[in-house]
Amino acid sequence: MRDIAYYPGCSLKEAAKSFEDSALKVSEEMGVNLKELSRWNCCGTVYSLTDDNLMKQLGPIRNLIRARDEGSDELYTLCSMCDNTLKRANSLVRGEEDKRDKINNFMDQENDYEGSVEVHHYLELLRDDLGWGEVRDRVVNPLEGLNVAPYYGCMLTRPKEIGLDDPHDPTVFDELVESLGGTPVDFPYETECCGSYNTVDNEEMVLNKTQTITAGAKKSGADVIITACPLCHFNLDSRQSDLLEVAPNHKPVPVIYFTQLMAIAFGYPEVNKFAEHAIDPREVLELKTKAGSER
Amino acid sequence: MLDKPETETLEIFIMGKKYEVPRGLTIMKAMEYSGYQYIRGVGCRGGFCGACSTIYRLEGDYKLHTDLACQTTVQDGMYLTQLPFTPAGRKQYDLEELEISNNPLLDLYPELARCVSCNTCTKTCPQDLEVMDFVNEAIRGNVKEVAELSFDCIQCGLCAARCPAEIPHHHVGQLARRIYGRYQAPESEHLKERVEEINNGVFDDELEELVNLPEEELRERYENREIES
Amino acid sequence: MRTGKLNRNDSAEEDPYSESMRESIKKVEETREERLEKEVDMMDPDERDEVLNNFHPDYKEEGMRSLKVGPNRGDEMPLELADLLEAYPAVDPSEVDLTKVDYEVDVLVIGGGGAGTVASLWAIKEGIDPEDVLIATKLRHGDANSMMAQGGIQAADRENDSPAAHFLDVIGGGHFANKPELARALAKDAPEILNWHEDLGVMYDKNEDGSMKTLHGGGTSRKRLHSAKDYTGMELMRTIRDEARNRDVPVVEFSPAVELLTDSDGTITGALLYNLETDQYYVVRAKSVVMATGGFGRLHIQEFPTTNHYGATADGLVMAYRAGANLLDMDSVQYHPTGAAFPEQIVGLLVTEKVRGSGAIPVNREGDAFVYNLEPRDVEAGALIRECYGRNNGVETPTGMKGVWLDTPMIDILHGEGTFEDNLAYIHRLYTRFRIDPTEDPLLVFPTLHYQNGGIEINDEGRTAVEGLFAGGEVEGGVHGKNRLMGNSLLDYNVFGKRAGIAAAKRARETGWGELTLDHAKKYTDQLDNAGVDEKRKSPMLVPEYRGEETLSRSIDVL
Repeated sequence: MRDIAYYPGCSLKEAAKSFEDSALKVSEEMGVNLKELSRWNCCGTVYSLTDDNLMKQLGPIRNLIRARDEGSDELYTLCSMCDNTLKRANSLVRGEEDKRDKINNFMDQENDYEGSVEVHHYLELLRDDLGWGEVRDRVVNPLEGLNVAPYYGCMLTRPKEIGLDDPHDPTVFDELVESLGGTPVDFPYETECCGSYNTVDNEEMVLNKTQTITAGAKKSGADVIITACPLCHFNLDSRQSDLLEVAPNHKPVPVIYFTQLMAIAFGYPEVNKFAEHAIDPREVLELKTKAGSER
Repeated sequence: MLDKPETETLEIFIMGKKYEVPRGLTIMKAMEYSGYQYIRGVGCRGGFCGACSTIYRLEGDYKLHTDLACQTTVQDGMYLTQLPFTPAGRKQYDLEELEISNNPLLDLYPELARCVSCNTCTKTCPQDLEVMDFVNEAIRGNVKEVAELSFDCIQCGLCAARCPAEIPHHHVGQLARRIYGRYQAPESEHLKERVEEINNGVFDDELEELVNLPEEELRERYENREIES
Repeated sequence: MRTGKLNRNDSAEEDPYSESMRESIKKVEETREERLEKEVDMMDPDERDEVLNNFHPDYKEEGMRSLKVGPNRGDEMPLELADLLEAYPAVDPSEVDLTKVDYEVDVLVIGGGGAGTVASLWAIKEGIDPEDVLIATKLRHGDANSMMAQGGIQAADRENDSPAAHFLDVIGGGHFANKPELARALAKDAPEILNWHEDLGVMYDKNEDGSMKTLHGGGTSRKRLHSAKDYTGMELMRTIRDEARNRDVPVVEFSPAVELLTDSDGTITGALLYNLETDQYYVVRAKSVVMATGGFGRLHIQEFPTTNHYGATADGLVMAYRAGANLLDMDSVQYHPTGAAFPEQIVGLLVTEKVRGSGAIPVNREGDAFVYNLEPRDVEAGALIRECYGRNNGVETPTGMKGVWLDTPMIDILHGEGTFEDNLAYIHRLYTRFRIDPTEDPLLVFPTLHYQNGGIEINDEGRTAVEGLFAGGEVEGGVHGKNRLMGNSLLDYNVFGKRAGIAAAKRARETGWGELTLDHAKKYTDQLDNAGVDEKRKSPMLVPEYRGEETLSRSIDVL
């Protein structure tokens, strides 16, 4: 078993617990132990664009310092929001010397940090390190006939400097779905914003976004949407059930984490806890796949 | 009384006023030595109650230090004041009615989410607790970790006074400990059984007999009682 | 836990112990292995008597005098207390307008520590509206000795134990002077009290199956000491206080009661509070009054340092005595065997009995053990004084204080590395702050004034002899006789705070408000006049006088 340093983020310990559970399971299957940092804090949630308030950069940078102090030069993430925040904070440290100095001066109980840790998303582990062949080899229930809409949202691919794929035409999810034996559907809203934190105080806007994205996926023939973001998941899943109350003709599409899809294909459906989803994916998955079959 | 040994003195500044005090005193005793009689800013004098929060600076040092007046020795040139009170929003709740399936800590204290992990709370804590770590555990809903990491908190409130996110850490810790103790810690079966026995009067006769025993006989029973090793 | 930042006191690298102390420590280290294998025998009853008679401060005649006025006239008690009881009211009755009532409540609780807070919670459970309760307290709510208890709370909840065994320990430890019905209430209520704490979310130390971790205390026949690390008092007090806050119990802080109010028959009808910050008086009319002001450690009886909090100045005894309450066992003071004797900054602070309960043994200058580690407190304290002053085997500090070693490194040797820091976090922190690591070096200790064994006489409902006045906690007497055992003070404030709160609530439901006078104080003043007491002597004390030289640590003139 190979250890890799892993930063979970808060959501994966709470609302998105099944994202983490499924990731841990499928990793183990591929001989990888996601070794959680022994101490970590919130990533900062959203990368702060305020130029003169470096306070907001302390959270993400402190996590990178912790990873370094625990002896890791690489750190893996699952949540695309955390991935984005950590990577951008790292870029800031690497690229802007005066801000780096200011931050290091403020964090006077820690040793200076200069950007030595490399942050990766778990999808990069699959694509660039293990390779799709490794994924394919673990599949026991190929997802034949399952149409999957890859939903990237904003955080995985933008901005370009830190994105893990082409921001205009990302393919990593498509490659994953194919490796699992499923069919990626071409889907015009795959990098459309879900509405993000507007969900807190502008519900209507998020409902509109949710309708556009999920109806678009449906129209493209998707049985299920996959995501790597707990917030996208909340908006597309929970808000879709709110949407059904105002738009009863809406045809719901279940939204799941990509690692949950892997868990089905790898034969570990029990880690997924689909009953907690607002739009229950079980019926469509069982219809189209051997979702219930364990190895 | 023995003769007081000759003591070296040093200079401190209490709220900006200069005083000369013997070396080796705690801040609390140095203030008293200087003529202050405490009403606020004092409590147990032993490091338990959190009443004597003090902030100070030292010459040539940019830091604003925080500590307990009863547990800290004065240093030459110390520039200090005490906090008489630390306002911090505490939420009312009914432990029996609390919705604990979600994240009760974040539900009651949504300001937890404002934490930017600056670590000021940890640096401020006179108990040297990992305050920022338990705030982050609170955000994640990990009640047990919050309870354990915050257990030695004396609720002085210095962290809350310094926090840029305006979190009342000590109240969050208190809430977590009570939730943990009430709902998550394993229950003590032998305690419940004993309470039931007492309520059923199992020990009443024996106690009644002892209460009415003449002293001589009591003494004999006491001296011959079996002692668990 | 990471304690990297502690020891901010003095950055110097030098050894905190003096050279001669370090030499003695070497002897302690040399004998340690031997001592790990061989326990010291418990004293027989005759030797105990001898130690007490010759070395316990209670038996020192010059420290006592007999009271000239009031219900306990003729009783011997410490000079410092007698001076406060034989003193004129601090309040000038002509300054106060009793017709202007500031608070009108069913139950007034005087004292915001453990007993008072418990009393208020149970008065509410008994049906009193929280709005009709008032806690008046001198410092902040919860600033009390209750907060400082370290070692634990006794309750006979294990299978091999029983309330009867607990009772026998209490009454034997108290030298059979206890009121038996009070000792019975203490032992019998204990498990129910712990159960209540569990419901409130107190985090007791437990094993994985939920069973309680228990230890011996001095003078216990069973392991029945329950703890929450060595912050037991803090964990209980802050939890109970949190519950009072949730229940909206009104608390008025920095406003101690300075005199009770009575009607013409002497029934208690309220109290006069004094706002320490604004110098204003508040008149409180109440149907029942619970006295819960705690003890008298800050009187520094016989010049001893104390473990007690700043407000422990016997105010409740003074007020109740003037109103006609009887006091019990006031000649008996508890000196905790192990107070810190070094470093200077923490002299007198408590080193919990749990340290001895966990296997640390008192050792003299030569490294020899001289007393069983868990004698009842008065005997253990007497033995330490004998070692220092009777046999001259104590260790002297640079400021002339004497003490013996408490061999704390034994704890991790006996129970495994990390035990000390996990279970005795307070002590660890207390000493680490001053650069002494108790897992590496022994601690120097000497008895310290800890507890008021006696107090206002109550019955097993918490009623005093004065109509309308109830009492709970350290201020009352009779529960512990002449010596309280470890772990029974936290229990006392819970059991009798609860009983007093319930009884006060019942009385409040059955009676109305009475007239408000200071007649009893005037009558008492007449008695003082007749006895020729110095008119300048005033009480209650409220806060001790430490200004100027007074604050410098007191050296002890023991014998």
